[in-house]
Formats: sequence, structure tokens, C-alpha cells
Amino acid sequence: MSELTQNTYWKSLNELAQNKEYQNFVDREFPENATELTDGVSRKGFLRVMGASIALAGFAACRRPVQKILPYTKQPEDIIPGIPLYYATSMPFQGSLTGLVIENHEGRPTKIEGNDLHPSSGGNTNAYHQASILEMYDPDRSRGPLRKGERSTTDDFYKFASDYFSDTNKKIAFISEANSSPTFNGLKEEALNKFSGAKWVTYEPFGEDNSIEGNNIAFGRRVRAHYNFLNADVVVSLDDDFLAPVHPNNVEYAKQITSRRKVTSTEDSMNRIYAVENGFTLTGSFADHRKRIKASEIADFANALAATLSTRISGLNRFSTISNKFIDTEFVTALADDLAAHAGRTAVSAGFDQAPEVHAVVAAINSALNNIGTTVNYLAVPHFDNQNNKSAFTDLVSEIASDDYDAVVIIGANPVFTAPSDLDFATAISKASEVFHLSTYVDETGLAASWHLSRTHFLEAWGDGYSFSGARSVIQPQIQPLHDSVSEIEFLGAIVSNGKASGYDLVRETFNSFYARNFENRWLDILHDGIDVTDGFTVSNRPIRSVAPAPSTKVNEIEVVIKADNSIYDGRFANLGWLQELPDPISKITWDNAALLSPATAKTLGIVNNDVLNISVNGTNIQVATWIQPGQADDSITLNVGYGRKGIGRVADISSTSSQLFDSSMTSGGVNVFPIRSTASMLFAQAAITSTGNTYPIASVQDHHSLEDRDMYRQATLKKYQEKPDYASFKAIHKYAVPGMKEAAALGEDQPISLFNEQTATEGEPQWGMAIDLNSCFGCGVCIIACQSENNIPVIGKREVDRGREMHWIRADRYYVGDINDPQAVHQPVPCMHCELAPCEQVCPVAATTHSDDGMNQMIYNRCIGTRYCANNCPFKVRRFNFFNYPKEYLTSGEDPDIIQMAMNPEVTVRFRGVMEKCTYCVQRVNRAKINTKIETGFPKPADGSIQTACQQACPADAIYFGDLTDETSEVVAMKRNERNYLMLEELNVRPRTSYIAKLTNPNPALVKETKMEPAH
Amino acid sequence: MSKYEYIPEPALVKGNHDFASITKLVTDVNLKPTPKGWYLAMLPANALLLLLLTSIGYLIWEGIGIWGLNNPVGWGWAIINFVWWVGIGHAGTLISAILFLFRQDWRTAINRFAEAMTIFAVMCAGVFPAIHVGRIWAIYWVFPIPNQMAMWPNFNSPLLWDVFAVSTYFTVSLLFWYVGLVPDLATLRDRATDKVRKFAYGLFALGWTGSNRAWWNYEKAYMILAGLATPLVLSVHTIVSFDFAVSMIPGWHTTIFPPYFVAGAIFSGFAMVMTLMLVARKVYGMEDIMTNNHMEKMNIIIMVTGSIVGFAYMMEFFIAWYSGVEYEKAIFLLRATGPYAWAYWIMMFCNVVSPQVFWFKKLRTNVGFTFFISIVVNIGMWFERFVITVTSLSTDYLPSSWDYYSPTTWDVLTYVGTFGLFFTMFLMFLRFLPMVALAEIKAVLPQGDPHNYDDETQEFHPHVEKVPQPKAVKA
Repeated sequence: MSELTQNTYWKSLNELAQNKEYQNFVDREFPENATELTDGVSRKGFLRVMGASIALAGFAACRRPVQKILPYTKQPEDIIPGIPLYYATSMPFQGSLTGLVIENHEGRPTKIEGNDLHPSSGGNTNAYHQASILEMYDPDRSRGPLRKGERSTTDDFYKFASDYFSDTNKKIAFISEANSSPTFNGLKEEALNKFSGAKWVTYEPFGEDNSIEGNNIAFGRRVRAHYNFLNADVVVSLDDDFLAPVHPNNVEYAKQITSRRKVTSTEDSMNRIYAVENGFTLTGSFADHRKRIKASEIADFANALAATLSTRISGLNRFSTISNKFIDTEFVTALADDLAAHAGRTAVSAGFDQAPEVHAVVAAINSALNNIGTTVNYLAVPHFDNQNNKSAFTDLVSEIASDDYDAVVIIGANPVFTAPSDLDFATAISKASEVFHLSTYVDETGLAASWHLSRTHFLEAWGDGYSFSGARSVIQPQIQPLHDSVSEIEFLGAIVSNGKASGYDLVRETFNSFYARNFENRWLDILHDGIDVTDGFTVSNRPIRSVAPAPSTKVNEIEVVIKADNSIYDGRFANLGWLQELPDPISKITWDNAALLSPATAKTLGIVNNDVLNISVNGTNIQVATWIQPGQADDSITLNVGYGRKGIGRVADISSTSSQLFDSSMTSGGVNVFPIRSTASMLFAQAAITSTGNTYPIASVQDHHSLEDRDMYRQATLKKYQEKPDYASFKAIHKYAVPGMKEAAALGEDQPISLFNEQTATEGEPQWGMAIDLNSCFGCGVCIIACQSENNIPVIGKREVDRGREMHWIRADRYYVGDINDPQAVHQPVPCMHCELAPCEQVCPVAATTHSDDGMNQMIYNRCIGTRYCANNCPFKVRRFNFFNYPKEYLTSGEDPDIIQMAMNPEVTVRFRGVMEKCTYCVQRVNRAKINTKIETGFPKPADGSIQTACQQACPADAIYFGDLTDETSEVVAMKRNERNYLMLEELNVRPRTSYIAKLTNPNPALVKETKMEPAH
Repeated sequence: MSKYEYIPEPALVKGNHDFASITKLVTDVNLKPTPKGWYLAMLPANALLLLLLTSIGYLIWEGIGIWGLNNPVGWGWAIINFVWWVGIGHAGTLISAILFLFRQDWRTAINRFAEAMTIFAVMCAGVFPAIHVGRIWAIYWVFPIPNQMAMWPNFNSPLLWDVFAVSTYFTVSLLFWYVGLVPDLATLRDRATDKVRKFAYGLFALGWTGSNRAWWNYEKAYMILAGLATPLVLSVHTIVSFDFAVSMIPGWHTTIFPPYFVAGAIFSGFAMVMTLMLVARKVYGMEDIMTNNHMEKMNIIIMVTGSIVGFAYMMEFFIAWYSGVEYEKAIFLLRATGPYAWAYWIMMFCNVVSPQVFWFKKLRTNVGFTFFISIVVNIGMWFERFVITVTSLSTDYLPSSWDYYSPTTWDVLTYVGTFGLFFTMFLMFLRFLPMVALAEIKAVLPQGDPHNYDDETQEFHPHVEKVPQPKAVKA
């Protein structure tokens, strides 16, 4: 290399070409082209190779390592490097699909959006959908099969399977997660036919089982309750958090419910929502009336409601003799009156965790109210098992424990971690000679299995399924499987057909059976639209039977209530940093679970925040830190599961010495609550609570919950709005006009004067603005995750969150209004205000934050030196500083950082430490649209609706409006012209471009004094 | 009839000093071998300096995150320390320049000393704006140097004004101090016996001859520089106060900040001069020059400026209430009753209550008590910047953003390390440079007044104070 290293310059191409080293270089680096060179190649080909090689040869002596890129020599059709393509697919969760559209950069999916053609999505998503992209790229995902703990390959598995499963006398226990896929269920039938001694149980730790069994009691058939909240004037939730992602159909429900609350004029009406619950949920925070009672008392409440209704409507006579503490209370009376007055246009629902008998009562109530057919339909779901899966599971496990089975096949579920503790699942399966487990991570069950198979992620796999309401779709992969994995249909296919099965073939076969004629065209349409038929499930018109009151299950002392977590569900998302760092919408806790209890209960027990409690249920003890939760029912402690996982990944388990991510000096990962969940106490149990005397730090993103009588959040009742439409204006709240307006009017100006130069709108440029409808937002946080995904926002870990350095560009503030024991919780999303007279712009010493011609406040990362004056001067505190090199930790730790880097959006810079960042109104999307529009029309003014910011696109409540303020017909202009539109801190004259539409509540006049519905200021 | 007592102007230099003895007293410190005590003092000073360098190195290596800052408190100890050190520097310039223009001769005992303190304080201060930025390797972008990006800095930004103000202040202070030093360096050059000292002092003495013309130029230059430095006393800390006052944050955005900050700067600066002076004069035996009378005069200034600061606190509070602006009212209530109430009350006690003791002559002439109060004042002034910076950021407009700031070990160590820088430099100054402005103090000795010399014999006759008698009262 001597000549090349000494002298990297050359005087002529000839000189270089004759260089012996160069020849070696070419031979080594481009073996194909080297032979091409000697093979009498075309001149064009020669120059192409020479050009690239010469350019690259010079680098051989430079110190920076050479990374070669080559353009396509045969460019695939439709792909323009740099322009993403969008493909439809669906995400399976809890046995239902939600239709999605995936943004795909050169064969690499980077962003998940909703599919507006799909009823389960309507164009929006929830936090789980958004975060599933990170799940696919999770470096801790299972990379390949493990045979008795040793690394193996799927080919080895197929060989083993073809031999093992050829013996149809084998007694096999199948335990599967819920799955709506017709292909999967077809294979399930085949498996049960093939193995006569086989049993199949669908196992979900938080599934619909109770609801299905309840409907079975009510109708004599296992059906699914599907609500249509569009038709509901009154909605009652009995511990049913249907707005939260824990509910498989939350996106559709959220869209429906919020659309019945959109008010643009005083003529509009709103629905009325009642929530009865023990913990503070999203649905509860969005409700007009919220009653906090113990989870164990919901049955009594349902009975009381039915009893009270029985005197107003017919069909509930069996409840007329009910007597409990809820009878004759103001709340139940008013609720019953309201329901009766709107019979046929009401919807009552109970949470999946509640006992089947409660669901039966709810079905009876709905039936008596004539809701069936308008606000609720009971759907016959073809893949529902004809058995009580919960008790079937219990029976199966005891049979396995008695050595009745040769093999246990576990598809997708994680019962070693999540199964009721009294079943001792781990010990039971140790009796079987083979345990096959298909899963995304090498989790607790995977470690106990004799064959662990890595599961192909839905974004990498072919599949199909039905949505919650019965819309059928195909799941099409966005990328080749990253690891040595199999999908569940391939797995089951291998078991059934003794050999390798292709997911693609299996799915096509299924759809070929649906469309014998014209299959190929139909197939392409389905793949393109992401949806096939919408009426996959038939509506059951079985009449209601006579339903008995639900047995009273009230726990007299303190109850603990075991719930799935809003962010990580049953623990399956515990290794996703985005979801761990997503603050719980009500408690604002990150990275941990806590024992949530009411202020009154805490006082009685003599404990304060962060005290570690010893919670004893039937002899099992766990230690969990306290978090005082205003609005929690008294003597009721909510515990979220899914935490306390060990060894499954570097994010889930920061206390483990094996994890190098973030700072392990602050233990996070929470406590495993499943040990106290037994078959007798799946939802609630009586608990003995003592304080251990220790404390445990919990990282919360919002430390102050009171609005302090300030006017950031403005609300009124619908009635007040009708009397005074401008209740949310500055003048109405403060009793004086915005300072400076009078003087401005005298000068003929419409804005108070300013010392700073006002920018005038540039001719021909759009002016961007945003309006956020507080009347629609219920605080789910999908906007936060969508923004994180779109803008490459790093995860910072618990210690940094505790220090107050969260990096989310959009945050959801939650304020408690009213009595601290029973407050109203309101949500306010706060992105950057993009002020026209931005205080941040004025104080940056190096002009790293400037104003664009189209009205956006820009953040120039490579000019920023990080004095943080801009963040100090921002009155809304929307700016985020990279105190450490957060992306480095987040993107480069572990053996192969390349995987997680693939999840990043290539259109957005990844910021270095010492640099300020903030919401950019998704400037990358805006600019792309402007460019395209300019190319097409000559003007950079995109049509209204053609640009959606990431937060706007994800929001199921359609709470965010974004668009061009110079376009008179745009939605955002209409919203900003609404009399309920207001600016935060208007008196500062910073002129924010992000405004808010004030909230309305629709309380029942009979109950008005029960809830504090005064304007927040 | 009232008791009549004539209090003569106290002698500016006590004891029976003449030119020669003054020169010997002051320059012997520089010319004699280093006393052991100096090394003993230099050891911790150097250790702290090393600590400072380590803290800065680690900060640049890891990032600002090693400090306790967060959302919303983007400025913490670093900026507080910056303002504190810069404020301290103002006393030196006031003594050197403003008291010179006011012809306050008593300044001559302390002006060299105080101006040195200013320069070193400004050096310590200047460390902080440089290191507190996220990307220190790009800090040169704040300077208006033509560049390939065609970017000027943003002249609307108070931080940029700081850059100009503090660098101007440092430059002018250094020049002023140096110019004043020239005759004294020449004295040292002439008195020094070893080659190294002769050469070094000679080099910096710029060939001073002591001729009439030289003195004439010297006086002119000194006057001009004093004139330049005087407005800086007011302007520099005004600009520093603009870092806060020009922003929109409640508790920061008030017009009282410029005079309030300047008064506070002088207040803390004098306290720091006092602290240093009381120790140095004892150690080096300079009580005859830096007399108790000087101390008393400085205490009076401390009391006056402390009272201005106290008055400013009351005014701030009053105006916040009078304005009716809810956020202003809220921040002042929160300061006194909120999460940082402890800091607020320390500040109030140290700044408002403690200097009032100097109404009592007994206390303001008591050395030990003065020393104690001078420390208390500086603690109080540090807490004042803390309260201003942190409470306003911590509990500002949107309650959802409210968060608590506490310093980390590195915040504290960096601050403590700047004392290392300061004391290293100061000890070097004490060792190698005359701590009293010899030329100037000689001018205020009786020997320096030409009226005390007999016209013909050129003999020195010390001035005899004529005690005026009251006019007789008619019976």
C-alpha cells in the first residue's frame, strides 16, 4: 500500500489505473466487476465501475472507515430513494386486528399510521400501534430458536417437528393467545383433528373471557358486545376503560365517543358519559360524571342500577328486590332517570375484568333499555371457542401437572409470567416432555420451554384476521424477517403438516377459499386497501334470557385491584422504552408501577408518597411503593401488572447487572404483581397492608397538579356555553380585555404593539397554525408516541426523568380540578406554540432559533451552542435540551446498534448533546407537501388536509387541527374562528399559533352539585 | 450649651510613615523570600484550582447533565456563580475609578488590592458562561467574526450583550490596573537585587523613568481610564441584569433590576474586599495602611448599598402587588412561602437585616464583627441570585411545568473550584505585586502634599490641624 498511503493524489487516471495497489484494490473489492473489467466490458459499464472505484480508492488511505453505498443498478419499480411508500397492513392485539398504514423507506418500515379505510382505525392509532415499530426493531427480541437453552435454527425445528408431530397419538395441550385469523383458526381445526388426544385453550391474562361468558349467561351463546357510541346519547362505563389502549377496540370507540362531543355552535348537542370505577382511568377522566367505588362493589352497583331502572322500564323485575348501599343514592337515581329518558339511545358497558355475572346484568340492562341494535350489537364471532376458556385453562394446567400430556404448545402467550399464581404454571409444564413456545422475546415461558421459537413480528409476516367488529384484512409484511423466526401460522402449519409452511401460501389459500372467482384481483385490492369485507361477524339476534342479579363480591377491608397497565399492558411491552417512558395519563408515573391509593386511605394508613408497602394477599407478599392518587376510590389500591420482569431485555430490567442501558443507579422496572393474582382473585382481593419503612423513588413527569387558579385550561358546562358562548375568552375569564388591545384599537391595529419586529406574511407562502380541541382530548398519549416515532426522540431512562429532563416534544398536562379526594382530571396536550413574536427567538445569542416565512419557529440544531436561554424564556416550557448524549445511549448500546437505528425516521436529524430541540410542526412533512404542491401547481400551498402532523394523524379523537391559516376554507381556520378558541397566556403578546378550543362538559342537572364543573379559572 | 467636639479627619496612613518606610513595608513582601505561610495557603488554593479544571473537563466530556439542571430550570448554579463573581468585581472598579473621580483619597490604601480582586473575580465569572453551554467547542460563534456561514450573532440577545460587557470590563479593568501598576513596578525594579526580578519587573515597568513627563502622561492616562471604567461599574452589571430583566419570566421581567443589581454588586464586592483585606493586612502587617478607618468607611458603604438592596426587595414586592399581574404576585408569594422559602429567608436575613448592624459605631469599627458580617453578606448575595434564578424558573407560568432544582456534587465542586482559581491568582498577586498602590498612597501622605514643605529650605513640616473654635455666644 506504500504508494497509495504516501501520496493519495494522482496526476492522471492513467497513473492511478496502472498503480498495482489499485489493481489489487479493485480485484479485492469488486470481484464481479474485476472480472467484468477483464472480460471485454462495455465502455459505459467500464466507466461506471471505474468512476465509482476511483472515487472510493482515494479513501483507502484516509482514516475515516470507508462505507460504500451504491445506487440501484436495477431500480425496483415505484421506489425513488428518499421518497417513502405506504403499505396497508394490520396489527393483531387481543384477538382483533386494527388496520394500519405503514410508512416504508426503501423496504424499511419506519412509521405506523392508521388506515382511514378501516373501521377499527378510521385513520388513527393508539400508543401500542405506534410503539410496535420499536418492538420489531427491538435488539432484545428473540433472534432464533432455543432448543433446551442452546441456540438452534428454524430449519432444525422443522426437522424436529416433522418427526415429532408425525405421531398423531401424541397428547398435546395447545395454549394459544386469542387470534382472529381465519388461517390460524383453520390450522387450529386441522390440529385438533390430527391429534385426537389434543386439547386447545385460548389464554389471555386480560382478555374478553368474562364478557363472553357473561353474554353466554344472558343470551345462551358466546357472543361479543360491540358498541356503536355514535348512536348513544348517554354512555355508562362500569369499570370499562374503553378509551384506553388496553381495550382492543379503543381507537374506534374513541372516535365514536368524541365525535358525539364535538361542538362548534350553541346548537350542537353532546352525549353524556358516566363512569363508575375504582381507579382513575382515561374514560373516567373524560366522563361528565365519575363515581369512585371499589372494584369489588361494581357488582352491587350494577345490581342497584338495574333495580332502580326496574321501576322505570320493564324487563328487570328480578332486580326489584335488590337492596344495597347504592340503592336510593342520588347518583344512581339520577343515572337511572337519565338512562330511562334516553332509552334506545344509551350504552351501558362493563370492563372485561369484571365477573361474567356483571356482564350478564349489563346485557340485561342494555336489553331492557332497547339499546340492542342501535348502540350495541352482540356479534357471533366464529373463532370464539365453545368453552369457558378461563376454567378450561385451569383444568388443563392441572391435567398437565398430573402428567396427562406429552407436549405443551404455547403460542404467543407468556403463562409462566402471567398465569394465576395458584396454578403454578411453571411447575406444571415441567411435567411435559416437550414444551414448545412461540414468542417475540425469550421471556419467562421461553426460558422454561424445551423448544423456544422466535416469533416473526406482524410487520414482518403474512397473516390475516378480523377487527373487533368483524372487518377482515390481510396482514402483509413490510420487511423480510430480521431474525430466524416463524410466524404463528407457519408454526402451526409445521405442526399440522409435518413440514415447512409458508405464511404467504397459507394466507393466500385461505383467501382463495373466500374468493374462488377473481381471486388475484381481489387479493391485490385487499392488500392495497388493507381491508376486505366489513361484515365478517353476524349480528346475533338471540333474545335475552332472564338474568339474575350478580352475586355481591364486596371486599370489606382494603382491596387490591389488579389491572393491566396503560403503557405496557400485561408486560408484553415492558422492553419498549417509548412505552416505559410514556407517562401514565393520570398519575404521570414512568418506568415503574406503584400502589395507587386515595389521599384519605393514605392518611388512614399513615403513609406518604414513595413509602414501600408490604401487600399481603392470601399469604403471598409483594412490596410496592405508594403513589397517592387523587380520585382513587377509598380503601382500594390499584396495582398495574407487567413490571418486575427480569432478564428479558435491557429496557425492562434496568436493575439487572446485565443491562448496560441508562444509569442503573436508579432501579426501575417496577414490581411483579402477578404473584398475588390467583384464580380466586383475578381482579380484586382483600389485602393486608403494612409499611415496610423503606422508600422507593418513582419518576413522575409532572410534579404539580393544580392549575393554581390560572387560565391555561378553560371549560364550562354546555348550558353555560349556550348562555355565554364566549365563556373562554380572556375578557370573560379575567374581566378585563387583553392588555394593550384598547391602545392598539386606537391605532387601528388588531394586536397589541410590540417592541419587536412583526413579521408580515410572505406573499404566496402558507402560514401554519394549529388548534387543539380540549373537548375531544382524553389524554391517551398516542400523540406523544407518534411524535417520538416520527421525530427520533430519544428515550432517557428513569433517572433522567426523575431529574426532570423528559424529551417528549408534545406533552399531555393533567390538572386536577376541585376536591382533592374526588377531583376532575383534565388533559391538555402542549406542543410548541410557534409564537409569532417568539420570546425564544429574541434571546438566543447565536440566532439558532429563527422564524420561517411560513410562520414556523425553527430550531437550527447545528447552530445551537446550548445556552438554554430560549428554554428559560419560553413561558410554555416546550423546549427540550439534550443534557447528555441521549441518542447515543438509546441507539448505540448493545452488540448491534444497527437494528434499533433502523426504526429512526431518515427525514429527521438525530440530535447531539448540548443542543436544544422542540416540536417543529413536523416540518419534514410540511416541506415535503410544499415541494410536491409547488411541483404540481407552481405554488407551495398544499391543500387543506394533505399535511397531517404526526400527533394529529395519530389522535383517535381528532383533537388536533393543523393547516394553513391563509386558507379560508381550512378546518383549522374554522376552529380558530370558533368563539371557544383561546390562546394560552394571551396577555404576554407572544401570539402563539397553537390555540385551544375550550372544553365543555355536559353534566346531568340533577347531579350538578356533585361535580365541580365551574370554569377552571 | 451642647458639648462641642471637633473630630479631625483621621490620618489616611497611621503610624509615622514616610515615603521610604511605606515603600519598604509594601515592596519587602515582593522582594523577600516567600514566607512559609504563603505555600500553606497556596496548597489548598492549587488543589481547588485542580478541582475546577477536573470539573470542567468532566463537564465537557459528559455533558451538562452532570449538573442538576432540568426542564424548566435551565440555569442553576453556573449562572448564579457567574452573576455573583461579576458582582463582586464591581467593588474594585468603583474604588479604583469612581472614588478616584470623587477624589476620595482614602481609596489609595485599597484600590490596587480591590482592582486585583476585580480582575480575578471577572476571570472566575467568565468561566461560567463559557462552560455552561451545551457545545463549548462552538462557543466562538458568539463573537462577531466574519465566517463562512455568513452569520452574525443575534444582537437582540442579552447573552450577547454580556459577551461584550464582560469582555470590555475585563479588558478595561486589566488596562487600568496595569497602567496604575507601572510606577510601582519601576519601584520594584529599582529595589530588586537579583537578576530575574530586575528583568521581570523591568520588562513590565515599560522603562519608567519617573520623569515629569512620564508622571504627566501617567496622570492623564489614569484619568482617562478611570473615566472609561466608571460607566462600566454601572453598565456591566446592568447588562448582566438584563439577562433576567429582558426575559418574560415572572420575577425576572422588572425594570428595577439594573439599579438593584448594581447596588447589590457593590454591596457584595465591598464585602469581599473587606474579607480579603482584613486577613491580608493582618498577615502582612499592613494595618497602618489599611486602617480601621478605611474599614469603617467601607462598612458604611456596605450598609448603604445593603439598604438600597433591601429597599429594592420591598419595591419589587410592592410593584408586583400593585401591578395586579397574577403571575408576578404569585412568584413573590411563592418565593416567600413556596419550595424555596428557605433560600428566600436566608437571603432576607443576610442582605437586609445584617448590614443594618453598621448603624452602630461600635460594631462598624469592630474588626472581628466586620469580618463575620462580610461573609454573611456574600452568602446572602449568593442566595439572592439563587432565589432570582431558580424560583422564577422553577415555578413560572404553567403549573404543569413546575419542578424542583437541586444542585449535584458537580455543581458544588465547580463553584468551590473557582475559589481555587481566585485564590491562586490572588496569592500570586500578593506575592509578586505590590498590594498597595505605592505611588498613589504616597500622594496622600502628608509628605506628598507640596504645601507641607518649606518654600526655601525644602524641609518637611508635618501639617498641624487647627482646631476651629465655635464663635462665642452672646450671654
